[in-house]
Amino acid sequence: MDVNFITIHKMKKTKKGDLKIQVLKNPAGFLGLSSSKLADLKIQAPTNLRFLGASIFNKKGDLKIQEMAFMLLGVFLFFILVGLFVLSIAYSNIRDEATRIAEERTLSAVTSISDSPELSCVASKSNCIDGDKLVGMLNKTSYQQFWPFSSLKVIKYSGFGKKEKELITCTFANYPDCDVLVVYDKKVSNERTIGSFIAFCRKEFENGYTYDKCEVGRILAGTELKNAG
Amino acid sequence: MKRANKKGIEMTFNWIFAILAGGFILFLAIYGASKLIRTGEQTVYTETAATLTSLFDPLETGLASGKASEISFKKKSKVYFTCQELYEPFGRHTISFTEQTFGDTYGEKGQEISVKDKYIFSENVIEGKTFYYFTKPYFMSYKVADLLMMYSDEQVFCLYNAPEDVQDTLEGLNLKNIYFPNSTTSCQGTRVCFAGGRNCDITVANDYVLKQGKKLYYTDDLLYAAVFSSPEMYECNIQRIKKRFDSLGSIYLEKIKILERENCQPTLGSELSIAIGTNIQSSKDLLILFEQIDNFDSINQRAKDGCKLYYNT
Repeated sequence: MDVNFITIHKMKKTKKGDLKIQVLKNPAGFLGLSSSKLADLKIQAPTNLRFLGASIFNKKGDLKIQEMAFMLLGVFLFFILVGLFVLSIAYSNIRDEATRIAEERTLSAVTSISDSPELSCVASKSNCIDGDKLVGMLNKTSYQQFWPFSSLKVIKYSGFGKKEKELITCTFANYPDCDVLVVYDKKVSNERTIGSFIAFCRKEFENGYTYDKCEVGRILAGTELKNAG
Repeated sequence: MKRANKKGIEMTFNWIFAILAGGFILFLAIYGASKLIRTGEQTVYTETAATLTSLFDPLETGLASGKASEISFKKKSKVYFTCQELYEPFGRHTISFTEQTFGDTYGEKGQEISVKDKYIFSENVIEGKTFYYFTKPYFMSYKVADLLMMYSDEQVFCLYNAPEDVQDTLEGLNLKNIYFPNSTTSCQGTRVCFAGGRNCDITVANDYVLKQGKKLYYTDDLLYAAVFSSPEMYECNIQRIKKRFDSLGSIYLEKIKILERENCQPTLGSELSIAIGTNIQSSKDLLILFEQIDNFDSINQRAKDGCKLYYNT
């Protein structure tokens, strides 16, 4: 195409094959190259011709590259969007699964926590919490990192049926005249608690005799819900 | 001829461009897909490790003298354990899991799951389709922890000349792959010798277990822990147990104040404080610690029934 174009400008009624000969045989008249060698012309002539005279070709080529670039960009963006969509679904599934496992862990741990050395009754009763030991744990922060719960509380029988705000929190000073022993509370924003009934025992001195006084209680263990929006 | 060449160049450019761009997109797609598959695999392995920790909870002994259970997998699996005694507050284990994918090759292990409230005594890596585990309560005058021993179906233990109580305990838990051979029966596996002998992999003496050239000192049911555990796991857990003992000791010191309100006068506080303050560098120091423990335990035993600080039964 570009060869024909040159032919029109430089030589009238010539064949395509003649152009090559003509260009080679006319070194002085071509683009002001007055004293160049044949070899130089061989190199320069086709280069200059393409550069100066093949603008249509370039425009068309540019357009093709632009089209392809846009298409590639489109395909690329499409894949990125699909990838993000897949990742968001996969990520939400992972969060759900993590929460499910954490809840499962809380459930399995809460049923056995009353038998842990920190809480278990002195008199070897099963599913029994020693209130006197529990009071000693109230100021210990180390157990926050030890058990897999976001909060751990024990509600005494006196606290049953009361609203949360009405419950008297136990301290070393007011024990046992209180309703709830808060072992720890991480104060997480979204939490689900699981409860289990236990025997709550403590030492009581009455009529000159010290004995184990037991009543029903409830242990509440919380799990942080990580998939909260 | 020249024209054909020029057209050839134009085509070549298109092809090169298409090949490069296509190759890049294809590479990204394959890389992304393989990453996605690997992430999915890792997620499953991590979830499995997390689920394993939940399976350990029902084996809290409570009043029982021991409990046993087993976990089976469809494929041959590996469980990796580490123990970090310095992790606050009472050290921790990490568990990671992987299973066989193609042939005998294992997938890359999943993320480590942290377990802080268990004391696992096993080799650092155990491999097999079925994993056996059992728990024993451990008392340092008062109950401190449940010891969890774990091994796989690919491990066989041959206990030679085991004392009757050890044999009764292990047989009572109905544990698999643990045998008590005598002179007439043969046993292929880890040779555990209680009364000395030749070619023993593990030798049990009065107060220590010799394993992999290291002496692991024990008291009471720590014997099982020493036999089933790697030496480093054992020593690490001893440090962790001591930390728990200290924490429980301080809870009991608080309880003494509560008991004093109820007309009780426990006098073991000072002896208990000494035991809490004793540092142990290795399992060997357990023997010294237990002398101090015996001191305050004897005071507790002498207290009137309603005023005992703890009951170790």
